[in-house]
Amino acid sequence: MKFLLLVLSLSFGFHLDLALAQFKGEIVGSGGQKFPIAVSPLRNTGSATADAGRFSTGIADSIVHDLELSGWFRVIDRSSYIESPQQSGITLGTFDLKDWSTLGAEGLVKGGFSVQGDEIVVELRLFDVYQGKERIAKRYTGGVGQFRRIAHKFVDEIINQFTGIPGVFNTQIAYVSNSGGRFKEIYYSHLDGSEKRQVTDNRTINLSPSWGVNGRTILYSSFQDRAQTLYLRDLPSGKDLRFNPPGAGRFLGGKLSPDGQMVVATYESGGNSNLYLLDRSGKVLRRLTEEPGIEVSPAWSPDGKQIVYVSDRSGSPQVFVLDVQSGKSRRVTYNGSYNTSPEWSPKGDRIVYTGRVGSKFAIFTIPVEGGDPRKLTSEAFDSEDPTWSPDGRFIAFSSNRAGKYHLYVMQASGENQRRLTGSGGDDTKPSWSPRLVD
Amino acid sequence: MEFRSRVAYCGLLMMVLVAFACAPTAATKPDPASSGTGSASAKTSDTARSGDGQGGGTKESDATSSSLKALQEGKPPITPASSPLKDAFFDFDRYDLSGDARAVLRANADWLKNNPSARVEIEGHCDERGTNEYNLALGAKRAQAARDYLVSLGIAPDRLSTTSYGEEIPVCQGHSEDCWRQNRRARFVIVERRATS
Repeated sequence: MKFLLLVLSLSFGFHLDLALAQFKGEIVGSGGQKFPIAVSPLRNTGSATADAGRFSTGIADSIVHDLELSGWFRVIDRSSYIESPQQSGITLGTFDLKDWSTLGAEGLVKGGFSVQGDEIVVELRLFDVYQGKERIAKRYTGGVGQFRRIAHKFVDEIINQFTGIPGVFNTQIAYVSNSGGRFKEIYYSHLDGSEKRQVTDNRTINLSPSWGVNGRTILYSSFQDRAQTLYLRDLPSGKDLRFNPPGAGRFLGGKLSPDGQMVVATYESGGNSNLYLLDRSGKVLRRLTEEPGIEVSPAWSPDGKQIVYVSDRSGSPQVFVLDVQSGKSRRVTYNGSYNTSPEWSPKGDRIVYTGRVGSKFAIFTIPVEGGDPRKLTSEAFDSEDPTWSPDGRFIAFSSNRAGKYHLYVMQASGENQRRLTGSGGDDTKPSWSPRLVD
Repeated sequence: MEFRSRVAYCGLLMMVLVAFACAPTAATKPDPASSGTGSASAKTSDTARSGDGQGGGTKESDATSSSLKALQEGKPPITPASSPLKDAFFDFDRYDLSGDARAVLRANADWLKNNPSARVEIEGHCDERGTNEYNLALGAKRAQAARDYLVSLGIAPDRLSTTSYGEEIPVCQGHSEDCWRQNRRARFVIVERRATS
């Protein structure tokens, strides 16, 4: 028994070929061991600078944050580290591996940085402590303000090394927050809260942000012009494209298609909300549903051929899937009397949604063809608005388990639920960006 | 196989109910919004002065700002006790009209008949439970149900517009049923009222 465990722990370690064969896409199953890793503060390899401490521990902190958020690693506490990061080397042979194996670390991240003006050059390495081998060596150059992004990129490399699929930490989360007061504005930041940007500042109600394919656009709905409609924000220029409703009604929400060329939107008129297919300028191409009730919260399948949405045609809100070509719908959820805000996994196999349990709301996933739902969060509190990571291995959501609504991330299995850095207000409606290009 | 009664069917049902439920306003449940937070009604005099742009000749005493405007001005989206048009309330995840809601709407219809130049925007609101987009659609259903009933009572459709704020602008900020029932409402904002001689 013990031997078997050891073999397993080695196999998701650095025997890469074995790791890939056994754990493709998922490093550790439930009950599996977390991989013990140490992350040393970085060595300043350039000239002395007042900010050295900020970069040295800041980059290490971000790496630790991401590794812990993934749920696959056990990061060994920094206070137990033996060597001095500013004295020891960062390449094999220039530091003592025993200083790390003694602590039980099987993996080790070390690195150095130098600051030149507004630029920072960061070198990061991943070592296999037991085999005494270097597994990854990367050099990054960036603006000093984006030093945490470098850490996220490196963790994405580490996760690629272990699983054959890059991590999802060089991404951003867009969300709605009332942290600025009574208004609801849209923001985005990295998962660790860094590089936070405010998207809207119109002192009204802004809702339902979702990302475009390239991570450069955000579609959202807003009351900024009194009547609610959709806006497409181009992030580099900061310009909004307003979607003009086709009649006297209102666009309540929408999502850009996976190829970025179309939008599926909810259009409400005369009390009836239905799904419409729009081009990316907001012009109606086709009406998709013809129902007298409520049809809302559409989201695309990864291939863009189907749309998952919510309809109350059966008497209560339930999750349905619509085939874009034929216009035919089928019902997916049959458990519970209130199932909303679905999103289709990027892997294509499951749908995540919010379901009512008693008087509370919880996050569920269900196979796209229907079947038994899997409850991922406790009904001791409310959890809502799930959104998939771009690799489909994680789900972000909002929950009031700590009083106010905060954003959380968990594995797609529901394990390792962790709170993200909050804004101080109620943070809701997260939308996970695609992987960033740079 | 349970089907929610749709607005279309409600209309027929209402005609029947109206016929024998004619002890109307006495049966109306007390308006929780105005009784719970009556102090704010003293502030409504600001509303007309600050200029809705659509307020026209609205009298200061019974002015009700749109909920969005109230939010922008930092005021609670309360229907003043002095307002001639009262809020109608709904059950959770429902947009059919209860007997109480119909009684409120009949009184509102009477006022609209006596003030034929008034135009009204009906706001649909929801409690905080459930998801934002669904609640926006549900609020629209509530506003439309109220509008359809007023039309069935003889109010000209072109005097009634609708909007929905979903769960976004609650009148009561708490997290209990006592608050939630105050927030599940159709609210009436007079957008135009020329002085009648």
